[in-house]
Amino acid sequence: MLKRFPSAATTPSKLLLRRYIFTSDHKMIGIQYFFLSLAAVLVGTWLSLLMRIHLVWPHGRIPLVGEIKPENYLGLLTMHGTLMVFFVLSTVPQNGFGTYFLPLQLGASEMAFPRLNMAGFWTALASFFVLLAAFFVPGGASIAGWTQYAPLSAIRAAGPGQGIGTDLWLVSIGLFCLSSVMSAINFVTTTVKQRTPGMRWMRMPLPCWSWFVTAILSLLAFSVLLAALILLLLDRNAGTNFFVPAGLIVSGQAVNHSGGSPLLWQHLFWFFGHPEVYIAILPAMGITSHLLSVFSRKPVFGYRAMVGATIAIGALGFMVWGHHMFVSGMNPYEGFAFSTLTTAIAVPSAIKVFNWLGTIYGGKLQFSTPMLFSIGFVSLFIAGGLTGPFLAQPSLDMYLHDTYFVVAHFHLIMAMAGIFAVFSATYFWFPKMFGRMMSERLGAIHFWFTLAGAYAIFMPMHLLGVAGHPRRYSELTGVQYVAAMAPLQKFITFAAVITICGQLVFLFNLFWSMFRGRRAEANPWVCTTLEWTLPSPTPAAGFAGRVPVVNRGPYEYSVPGSTADFVAQDAPATQEG
Amino acid sequence: MPIISEHVHVERKPKLGGGGPGKIPHKRGYGGGDDGDHDRSKDFSSRKERLRRYRIGILLCIISVSTLFICLTLAYVFRQNLGTWDPIHRQWIRDWRALTLPYRQLWINTLILLLSSFTLEMARRKMAHQAEFAALGIVPIKGRAEVPWLGLTVLLGFGFLAGQVVVWNGFRSQGLFLHNNPSSSFFFILTGMHAIHLTGGLLALLYAAGGRLLKLRFDSQILAVDATASYWHFMGGLWLYIFGLLYFLKG
Repeated sequence: MLKRFPSAATTPSKLLLRRYIFTSDHKMIGIQYFFLSLAAVLVGTWLSLLMRIHLVWPHGRIPLVGEIKPENYLGLLTMHGTLMVFFVLSTVPQNGFGTYFLPLQLGASEMAFPRLNMAGFWTALASFFVLLAAFFVPGGASIAGWTQYAPLSAIRAAGPGQGIGTDLWLVSIGLFCLSSVMSAINFVTTTVKQRTPGMRWMRMPLPCWSWFVTAILSLLAFSVLLAALILLLLDRNAGTNFFVPAGLIVSGQAVNHSGGSPLLWQHLFWFFGHPEVYIAILPAMGITSHLLSVFSRKPVFGYRAMVGATIAIGALGFMVWGHHMFVSGMNPYEGFAFSTLTTAIAVPSAIKVFNWLGTIYGGKLQFSTPMLFSIGFVSLFIAGGLTGPFLAQPSLDMYLHDTYFVVAHFHLIMAMAGIFAVFSATYFWFPKMFGRMMSERLGAIHFWFTLAGAYAIFMPMHLLGVAGHPRRYSELTGVQYVAAMAPLQKFITFAAVITICGQLVFLFNLFWSMFRGRRAEANPWVCTTLEWTLPSPTPAAGFAGRVPVVNRGPYEYSVPGSTADFVAQDAPATQEG
Repeated sequence: MPIISEHVHVERKPKLGGGGPGKIPHKRGYGGGDDGDHDRSKDFSSRKERLRRYRIGILLCIISVSTLFICLTLAYVFRQNLGTWDPIHRQWIRDWRALTLPYRQLWINTLILLLSSFTLEMARRKMAHQAEFAALGIVPIKGRAEVPWLGLTVLLGFGFLAGQVVVWNGFRSQGLFLHNNPSSSFFFILTGMHAIHLTGGLLALLYAAGGRLLKLRFDSQILAVDATASYWHFMGGLWLYIFGLLYFLKG
């Protein structure tokens, strides 16, 4: 059993470029992904700010930007969605923290394929730049939404952004697919092959489990999206007929396509798109489970059930894509099947929520910033998740689908919950990544501000949706029943502006702590998992040839009879261990 | 999967094969394979471990490529049954027109590809044997005629691609392009995507075959050939699948 396990003893390169930029060191690549996402989230947030202001003052002139035209609004909408879904929610929880901490938590010093890892990052970076380039081409960014529904996405005449902007979008996301597949191959192989002796499957920390399941989802889902993107690119550029039906007249011109079906695009897209939602949220769930246990000083409640629920959510995620298409005129029997399966996802999700509550119940809670954000995650996950079963009913979805209700639902459960997990992971692992602590005081301020802001922005949107306010429109002046909702819209915009300004506290805390924060000891949060047995920040050589031997499960907190209130995973085995 | 024997990995360096005396450290430190910044690959992991890692990686790659082609198949079947509603004659017109495939050329290509799978397997086995002999310190006799299996595979691979180009040109000379009909679109997309993926495998083979020039270590050369072999066999199977799809679901 105790075979020699590979680990790299290396000296970091003396060349700064090779050490920090062109490196295949998983820790540095993790940090590179982190900053890529930070850049993406700043751009994406700026776009959302512009949209919110435009919704309330449609003809207002914004400094530096000027007046936003309706088609520009759609461009902002598309780019906001794309940046946030692909480059933030699918990137930082999985590729950012996963690339950094998966090998360390498993007791390995490197990913299975370091240079593939590097190639994945550089492809993602190229994809990011190609996407942003769309702002600077004639016609501007694509206006078809992050879902790029055909036929409008397939026809160049459909709008100003539907020319080069959309081609760039497709190429960018195609590159992102390649990057995700490369990274997924690495994650799965690392989890299967690089576990240190004694790190059995059921001794893996829960973030590792969710990174593993997410990688499998990425592997399958992004291949599907790539196939769809290729077909759409050919429809646009080679005159094929997959997604555009005959007899369309767009922008006053007859469209030279026939025989295709927009439904084909929707099926292919959502067969990727729904697993994508879980690609975004599963790592967040894993991180939250981990942190709730650490800061309650209690083992995770129902570890096996958590693992099972993670796998179940991943598997069910591939069977429910049709619930995004209830309004597409699908056969009611088909809708019923998708509705039933969708409701079934509530079961593993409820298991998770129950176990999170079970984990903190009766624990010695420590309300550090990571813990606050984890509790915030659970709160937002419940608040956003409860509207899921509503939308899973075809009859209700018919009414709510194109309203702000859906915007509220997915922003709470995916965007806000996801970003809360990212915040908690940042505050939690910052000492290991940068060797210093982030300010707890600023962290607490940031948390309360963001929690209040998240609810203030997205709770009223449910009301807008129920009242029938349609989404995606840039301007609805003159529509009577919508005009009555203007004060609520104004409130949301004010809340958004204030909440976004509140994030400056986080940015300040991040960069200030990176250079001026209190120096962190090796294990500041007194955790059991292997990354905390290394000094902070993690030395370039990782475990430096040492092979950690795991004797225990990942969540041995408050073990009866133990002197400390935690037992590290590589602590010597005892009689019962 | 053949058995991977552990005793191949020994301190004595094999003195043959690509890279000459198999011990040439790369000038930037790494010995081929995906070891990243780690300058001593045997520290990162033994050859056996690396081989297992590579095989899992290739398996996952194969799963990903399969998913892509399953999706294209679904689109193929879906599109075949679509059409246009003719409001004047009040009828549904299927616009899919069955292709007449150039069977002779396609069968030749198929044979070439299957033959290349065989030669690659021979190359892989020969290299594995060489590694075992080298581990025992037995150097092959210089000047003995050997079948250049790897080179043959590369040639056959290019031969297959050339055969595909002949097929595509045949369609083009009939005036059938990517955009003419969904059936021709799918023909070009399926065969084209297969050719692109096959080219990836071909590049990996060229990398392995050019080991001497690239100063690859013999270990890394074997790894490249071994990992590519699984992928290459999969490409052969995928081609049979595509051929079958185009034949049985002509529409």
